[in-house]
Amino acid sequence: MTYIENIFVCIVAPLLVAMICMGKRYYRFFIFSIAGMGACILSAYINTFFARIYNADLFNITTEIAPVVEEIIKLLPLLFFLLIFEPKPKEIESAVLILATSFATFENICYLTQNGAAELPFLLIRGFGTGAMHVIGGAITGCGLVYIWKRGWLKIAGTAGLLCAAINFHAIYNLLIAHGSITQYIAYSTPIFVLIVGFMVRRLIRTKQFSSIKLEI
Amino acid sequence: MVELIDNVSQFFVSMVAAISASIHYYKSRKQVYFLLTCFYGTFSIGGLYWMLYILLFGYSPQVFYVSELAWIASFMFLLTLEITISSSEERKFKHPAMWLAPLFCIPQFFLYITHGEIINNIFICGITMVVAIYAIRGLIFARRQKGRLRDMQYLYMSALVFIFLEYLLWTSSCFWISDTLTNPYFWLDFLLTGALFVILPATRKAVRP
Repeated sequence: MTYIENIFVCIVAPLLVAMICMGKRYYRFFIFSIAGMGACILSAYINTFFARIYNADLFNITTEIAPVVEEIIKLLPLLFFLLIFEPKPKEIESAVLILATSFATFENICYLTQNGAAELPFLLIRGFGTGAMHVIGGAITGCGLVYIWKRGWLKIAGTAGLLCAAINFHAIYNLLIAHGSITQYIAYSTPIFVLIVGFMVRRLIRTKQFSSIKLEI
Repeated sequence: MVELIDNVSQFFVSMVAAISASIHYYKSRKQVYFLLTCFYGTFSIGGLYWMLYILLFGYSPQVFYVSELAWIASFMFLLTLEITISSSEERKFKHPAMWLAPLFCIPQFFLYITHGEIINNIFICGITMVVAIYAIRGLIFARRQKGRLRDMQYLYMSALVFIFLEYLLWTSSCFWISDTLTNPYFWLDFLLTGALFVILPATRKAVRP
């Protein structure tokens, strides 16, 4: 049995101390970190609940239930932030990043407590892969919502579309890992590859925008 | 094997349609093409998961709704497309034939909940029924118009055929015969793949200048 809530308390306690010591400017960073880990623990409970209802085994939980539950729960703190504080796009980006990485970090901690930390090369690949996957999932929904919510006609369908894209990306990732052998390494490398391509495209767009501004001047 | 071929072909067709719609959007910047890209995109994402599941494990997902969520999202995009493309006159238009959609969909919904879950079916049948209602309304309205406005009928007709085939497919899945081509499910799914693609040229016809 994994005492997941005890682990959560042990990780959050020093973060809370650090938050108080570092002052108001850093509150947001720590709150999102804790919210991300909280979302992870909450999704673990909900996963267990659905697993009981559907009488699902570990394979079904990983490939079918967890992606849906995790992506929806991960979106909730972000949705709260978007609706209540109406932040600027730059603030949303950092919020998504912190939420997703803290979610992935806590998930990795739970994985380590269950499976041990003996194989460093595998854990290294898994660590980067899972981290990148959660960041992509968060970025799809978080950054997509910013674009979509400016357009009234797209709000409902767009939100559903983004959520389903994140869920399916996560589910395909878990599916490939569950298959094992070479497929799992393809799964681990895919999010990293997508992330690199995403960064390159973003950079390219920014450079284009910058050069067009220069030309206008 | 047939199931895999069926899913692979449907995934590729929807993917090609999504790419094609996105190219049209890039060229014209029309909202309709954006929605069409999203429709095909979400449909193909759901198909990709389903296809990989069958490819890797030899059977389809049994427990929870991953692909279904993507397909629900795609139906929502199709509905948004219908709402976006309709004129204010069309929105006010009413015709008794619109009742055919609930008359056809609701009995099937009751059949589905005896075989599957309620919440998922409420969402899927609810959205597709509304798509069908708007498609019937649009079809009748467009057929009473002249000139370019009349071309809208093809989009509504293709959407209606698509929804009709979806219902036939779901109904046939309730009476599963075999994993071979003797099962009408596969024939209906192949037809559905065709109907799915036809929405693209039908939309082009509807929005051409």
